Amino acid sequence: MKRVVTLDVNGEAREALVDTRDTLLVLLRDRLGLTGTKEGCGNGNCGSCTVLVAGEPVCACLMMACEADGARITTIEGVAQGNALHPVQQALIAHGGTQCGFCTPGIVLSAIALFEREPAPSNHAIRHAIAGNLCRCTGYDKIVKAIASVAGAKA
Amino acid sequence: MSQAPNRELEPEGPSRGDRDLAVVGKRLVRVDAGERVTGRAIYPADLVRPGMIVGAVKRSAEAHARIIDIDVSRARALKGVLAVVTAADFPVVAPGTLIPFGETGADAWASSVIAIARDKVLWRGQPVAAVAAVDAHVAEAALALIEVTYERLPVVADMRAAMAPDAPLLHPEWTPKGFDAGEAPPRNAGSRTLITRGDIAAAMLQAEVFAAIATISDTAHQGYIEPMACVAEADPQGNVTLWASTQGAFPTEIQTAVVCGLPQSKLRVIPLEVGGAFGGKINVHLEPYAVRLAQITGRPVKMVMSRADTLMGGSGPAAAAEIEVRVGARKDGRITSIEGRYLLDTGGIPGTPTTLVMQASAACYQTQALRLEGMDVCTNKPRTEAYRGPGGIQAAFAFEQAVDELALKLDMCPLELRRRNASVTGSTMPIGTPFPVIGLTGVIEAVARHACWTDPIAPGALPRGRGLALGYWRGTSMTSAAHVTMSGDGRPMVTMGAVDISGTRTAMAQVAAEEFGLAIEDVYVATGDTKSAGYSDVSAGSRVGRTMAAAVSEACRDALAQLRRRAAEKLQAPADTLDYGRGAFRVGGASISLGELMRTTAGEGAIIGKGVSSKLPLGMEIGAQVADVEVDPETGQVTVLRYTAFQDVGRALNPPAVEGQIEGSVVQGLGWALTEGFDYDAQARLRNASLLDYRIPTALDVPPIEVVLLETPVPGVPYGVRGVGEMPIVPPAAVIGNAIRRAIGVRLTHMPMTPERVRAALRMAGKG
Repeated sequence: MKRVVTLDVNGEAREALVDTRDTLLVLLRDRLGLTGTKEGCGNGNCGSCTVLVAGEPVCACLMMACEADGARITTIEGVAQGNALHPVQQALIAHGGTQCGFCTPGIVLSAIALFEREPAPSNHAIRHAIAGNLCRCTGYDKIVKAIASVAGAKA
Repeated sequence: MSQAPNRELEPEGPSRGDRDLAVVGKRLVRVDAGERVTGRAIYPADLVRPGMIVGAVKRSAEAHARIIDIDVSRARALKGVLAVVTAADFPVVAPGTLIPFGETGADAWASSVIAIARDKVLWRGQPVAAVAAVDAHVAEAALALIEVTYERLPVVADMRAAMAPDAPLLHPEWTPKGFDAGEAPPRNAGSRTLITRGDIAAAMLQAEVFAAIATISDTAHQGYIEPMACVAEADPQGNVTLWASTQGAFPTEIQTAVVCGLPQSKLRVIPLEVGGAFGGKINVHLEPYAVRLAQITGRPVKMVMSRADTLMGGSGPAAAAEIEVRVGARKDGRITSIEGRYLLDTGGIPGTPTTLVMQASAACYQTQALRLEGMDVCTNKPRTEAYRGPGGIQAAFAFEQAVDELALKLDMCPLELRRRNASVTGSTMPIGTPFPVIGLTGVIEAVARHACWTDPIAPGALPRGRGLALGYWRGTSMTSAAHVTMSGDGRPMVTMGAVDISGTRTAMAQVAAEEFGLAIEDVYVATGDTKSAGYSDVSAGSRVGRTMAAAVSEACRDALAQLRRRAAEKLQAPADTLDYGRGAFRVGGASISLGELMRTTAGEGAIIGKGVSSKLPLGMEIGAQVADVEVDPETGQVTVLRYTAFQDVGRALNPPAVEGQIEGSVVQGLGWALTEGFDYDAQARLRNASLLDYRIPTALDVPPIEVVLLETPVPGVPYGVRGVGEMPIVPPAAVIGNAIRRAIGVRLTHMPMTPERVRAALRMAGKG
């Protein structure tokens, strides 16, 4: 069955025709063409599909598209302001916190959500905030250092 | 003016070695980081082609069965289904169909059986059919309408069951290799390899103390976060384009071509970004179906593997192993004898190699004699594939724990025991050839001086211990190619034939910048495809950084030689009188920059520099790792408190990238050491087929990893580069095993060393 879903994505009003079986992840990637949000597992265990729903980090694969009707969504495409990168993005580049890049969009959004809650998180709080974002390439070291450097700048 | 007929123009640039480097070796950021942090990097699942449809795979519900019939009629009739294919739509590939692949070639029969079951299924999840449909929902419904009739056969779920005298044979037609005429090979054996050196019986007599261990390693998965995906598109003339997530465009091309019965020249494989691979994306899995469905429907077909399918038979995990090792030594610690028996679970198709595993196991140690026996054994589980230093971590889990036990028996510092036996340049390797230049003693001394070894273990309420293990991986070289053209404004544009899975684009931009005397911003590096780049082998075996550096520097020098001749004409001076540096040719008071040269001479013809590296000297990887752990005897929980990884990298082309490779590889090792293992039941059904229950490390599970880089360059290799990425995964399980032994006095011999197993070991030892 098909339905029209209307929602705010990265500050823009968007409309999509979805199958009622679609998840928010499918809506973003396949209906709206926003492929920056990735699918790593499809059932909420890897965090690659992390988006912000009203500022809260959510696995888009665990939310149905129809549930997102009227919602305010932030995806990775909405993080940079044009070509001006967010400090989290800049820090990941500067510290070598991205290798294959597949987990990176989810990590960026989890980190942004963390800074909304805590401007100067400890290293443990940082690891806790990204504990739901699995990374297989980096071993997390340089990711944590990158996010900590942003915390240091804000502190 | 001196004339030197036929004089070779001196190679430009610093690749001859001794000078200070301006770009190579610097801590530079990845050239492609920007697209990663913004989500603009394109992986195959992101690709959209006009009219694109979706492909999906029907997988076997049986672990061992004959396929009696596949009825696709109801699936074909479903609205929105455009095609359904089975093995009947593919040519038969006979066993022994050798294709160029890796160092020794590969049997394309295995490639075809991994991708498409024919007549028989050998593991749960093996592909038996595929559909193409207008969207994923229709495709899923169509799969449910495909009816496969199986004649069940008895299942062998593990190697013991497979080798039992009455075990069913997975491949009755297979003749096990490596056995003598009179010997009866164990049932379901693939092949046996024997490595012997010296008189083992005499050597054992000289030993005054022995340490022996028998270990089990469970199957583990490479755990790449991006599931396999590809898009195939065929044109009416029969040309096929395949966008893939792969470790090698050329290996994907040849496997897919043979399995589909398509001439290689008709297939163009374009590698896109790869979201992790680690050895698991060398073999093709979805690609043949995607190509065939695209050909039949005339529409582009996208296929993406679900995580569940990935874990339940759609991909090739790393081999489970049973390894026994016995080390004999004199009382002064000098090892005299090494014996080992290595069984690797190859899954449903024979052929998982054991040679490198055995060599890696004992390579770090000098010994009078050794006898190593390796064998792969078939079971009704997915055909196992490579995973970063394949077999290395399982072997080290046995060997490095045996050496540690020896240290305990001799009441000797474990580092001192390594020092007394360490292989050096010229030592005899297990296979009998002398070690090329290595710096193992340098690694050992670096450990000895480091705070991770000299600091006492921080005190805590629970038992704590420190573990040490050495690591070694041979790696490979094979062949890599690159070419360089010049942009209209004088900047070099490098195209390489190998896929970037470790930051190669950045490292090669550094190499090209170094050769041209330019800043890294002035160089452009791209990964080519199979129709635009020169043949390059798979990005695996820790070979790409080193061999591509050789190819790229050769291509740059070739381009510079052509540019020199042009500059000589412009400057009206003999070519060999010009100096080149920092992007310009100079002679007397005159100069011409690369930009000016290209602007004024582009119409004279393209500058195309070529570089091919083949069978470069190996860049063997050697290192050591140290960890402090805490064990909670009540829960069996092991916490890694501190971890330090030492590695001789020859020359770090890009230190943060090298550190990143080591940190990631270590954490993969820690995962397999503590929490990662496939849990099969007696019918070879996987019980933990999700990332919830197949537990890979999260940011909370691992401490910061300190990395210490050493540099003993490899002679005869540009910049002296060694491989990096595979060795670090080898020691961690042994490091943790040794640390646990020191903490609680009990040695774990089954990995992953889960809390349940720690508790069980304590109970068995009467301590819990």
